[in-house]
Amino acid sequence: MLVTYAPMFLMLFVAAAVSGLFFLGASTLGTKNPTPEKMTPYECGSESSGGNHLKLSVKFYLTAILFVVFDIEAVFIYPWAIRFRQLGWLGLEEMFGFLAVVVVALIYVWRKGALEWES
Amino acid sequence: MSLIFALSPLIVVTVGALLLMLAEAFSKNKEGLAVGSTMVLTAGGAFAGAVWMKGFEGADVESLAPWLIIDRFSLFFFMLLCLGGALATLLAGGYLPEHRLDRGEFYSLLLFTTLGAMILSAAGDLLTVFLGLETMSLGAYCMTAFRRASVRSAEGALKYFLLGSFAAAIMLYGFALLYGITGTTSLVGISKAMRAGASHGPGAIFALILVLVGLIFKVSGVPFHMWTPDAYEGAPTPATTYMSVAVKSGGFAMMLRVLITAFGDPQSMSWGSGWPPALALVAVLTMTVANLTAGQQESVKRMLAYSSIAHAGYLLVGVVAIMRAHEQATASVLFYLLTYTVSTAGAFGALILCGRRGAEAVSLEDLAGIGKRHPAAALPFALFLLSLAGVPPTAGFFGKWFIFRAAMDSGFYWLTIIAFINSVIGAYYYLRVLVFMYMREPAAGAPVATPMRSGYVSTALLVSAVLVLALGLCPSTSLDVAVQAATGLGG
Amino acid sequence: MIPLEAYITLSAFLFVIGGFGFLIRRNVIVTLLSIEVMLNAVNLAFVAFNRAHAADANAVGAHTGQVFAFFGIAAAAAETAVGLAIVLSMFRLKRSVRTDEADLLKN
Repeated sequence: MLVTYAPMFLMLFVAAAVSGLFFLGASTLGTKNPTPEKMTPYECGSESSGGNHLKLSVKFYLTAILFVVFDIEAVFIYPWAIRFRQLGWLGLEEMFGFLAVVVVALIYVWRKGALEWES
Repeated sequence: MSLIFALSPLIVVTVGALLLMLAEAFSKNKEGLAVGSTMVLTAGGAFAGAVWMKGFEGADVESLAPWLIIDRFSLFFFMLLCLGGALATLLAGGYLPEHRLDRGEFYSLLLFTTLGAMILSAAGDLLTVFLGLETMSLGAYCMTAFRRASVRSAEGALKYFLLGSFAAAIMLYGFALLYGITGTTSLVGISKAMRAGASHGPGAIFALILVLVGLIFKVSGVPFHMWTPDAYEGAPTPATTYMSVAVKSGGFAMMLRVLITAFGDPQSMSWGSGWPPALALVAVLTMTVANLTAGQQESVKRMLAYSSIAHAGYLLVGVVAIMRAHEQATASVLFYLLTYTVSTAGAFGALILCGRRGAEAVSLEDLAGIGKRHPAAALPFALFLLSLAGVPPTAGFFGKWFIFRAAMDSGFYWLTIIAFINSVIGAYYYLRVLVFMYMREPAAGAPVATPMRSGYVSTALLVSAVLVLALGLCPSTSLDVAVQAATGLGG
Repeated sequence: MIPLEAYITLSAFLFVIGGFGFLIRRNVIVTLLSIEVMLNAVNLAFVAFNRAHAADANAVGAHTGQVFAFFGIAAAAAETAVGLAIVLSMFRLKRSVRTDEADLLKN
């Protein structure tokens, strides 16, 4: 079993060695001349704004939670789709029942205003 | 047709819950929700009764197995859960507007939680057990956190949620091991594999331990009871009522199904190498710890939370007795759950009735002298407390009587004696509330509780009081029903 | 082919890591993550057992373990949603996500 994975481990080892060598070389051979401008965090060239401990709005959590919950429901459609022909009409009916429940939940979320970004 | 008829209790509650959820989102009027959800639950219970009367055998119903098993055992629990749920919705109809918590989500949450508990009681496969359990627990967590302005509510819900999910994960690992050992997830299939010799391996014993931890947690047995007083105290009182009544019944339904069906083989059900001794130890610890702690509480709500733990202990005595007296002990557990449901729902309802906005009745001092000032609120409270203490001729007396009889008949004399001593200790703290209500005067200048007025709460109290007296005066009919329900259950 | 024992060992390790994380960490978010790790350990065990049991892929019940894992994933997502909502409601009141600061309710 180990033989099968030998090239992968070799690759890992070589990659670690090469990148370690570069880091070591840069920090020992290079000259250092720090200025305040150089010490600011790199933000794609534009002026950096604010600290890195930014508080995220709670709206992100709400949207993320709703996304996860509705996204996961798709997992139940997947096995049904694979066995679509064998399951026949009964499977179709049951899938529509399931989707109806999900749609009711969606309507509820929409009516409650959880999908509005500005409120 | 017969399939839809057999499933009608579940369908009624599901459709009713979805419709009420939509109605709540589309309408500003919150008045009808309590009535609507009570009607849905009553209809669910009535359909379960109709299915019980009319019979439900048929190839269609068989085809649901092993996922859902419609038998007298699940129908009994359908009725019991709908009764507990309906009483809790009535209490919510009075409590929530009074305490400015009137948001309609509560009723949908309660209905979905009831649905989860119903699925749990009918589940014949580890998958449906898991689904029912999660549906029930998630709703209960949300209901605990319902008082959003209260830190206690949030803390209680957080503890309940964290420990509950932890226990569910442990039990689920036990399920995975069971599936690995037996190659099936149906409870009957597991039982067959166990009888064929799988129960002798170390894996099976490990799986049993993991599953037992989850089961004991869900019925709040010691040492996995720490969440109970916190969650029960933090939750709004109707949610507390519901959790101590319906969620606990759902937990016991799951325990009976899993232990008797999946672990019902002679090896797992024996005193030497199975679950009965572990459960007997838990029962003794639960009764003793809960009764001793309940006596020290100043908050009546917290005292009732410990009392519900103690009752779980008496019920566990009945579950242990199933080992030797199968039908009698199962029936006694079912009957006890019925008496416990009406007494506890009534006691919490009376506690709700004794307080109003800004002056909720919480501690013993709040209740001082209420028996003289407001006899109409104190009298039902006294009745339910006597029933919880097991004083004849109330329902609680016969509940305890049948459990103790079953334990004696199966030879567990020492367990019966411990349970009896505990119920005597238990009587102390119930009577202490009565002493405060009838024999104490409130301290000068102390805030006194004034009862609220609500038709919903009064209705719930009236129904519970009638049932407590009816079950106490002529228990034979409902006991027959419990015996019939118990016969359906087996390995 | 990796043997069943390897999967089960990995799953047991994951489960124990999650369990310890739950018991010793005091940050609610990390506690939620630990529960998630435990549930994923369960899913891994189910799928691994499924492969070991299913000799005939077309037989009835040949995919029970995998289906169980699907339901496990869905339930875990719902659990996280409810858990985060409860944590948020506590954070709004207490400005803290540490479990040892949830200490109002004592005997």
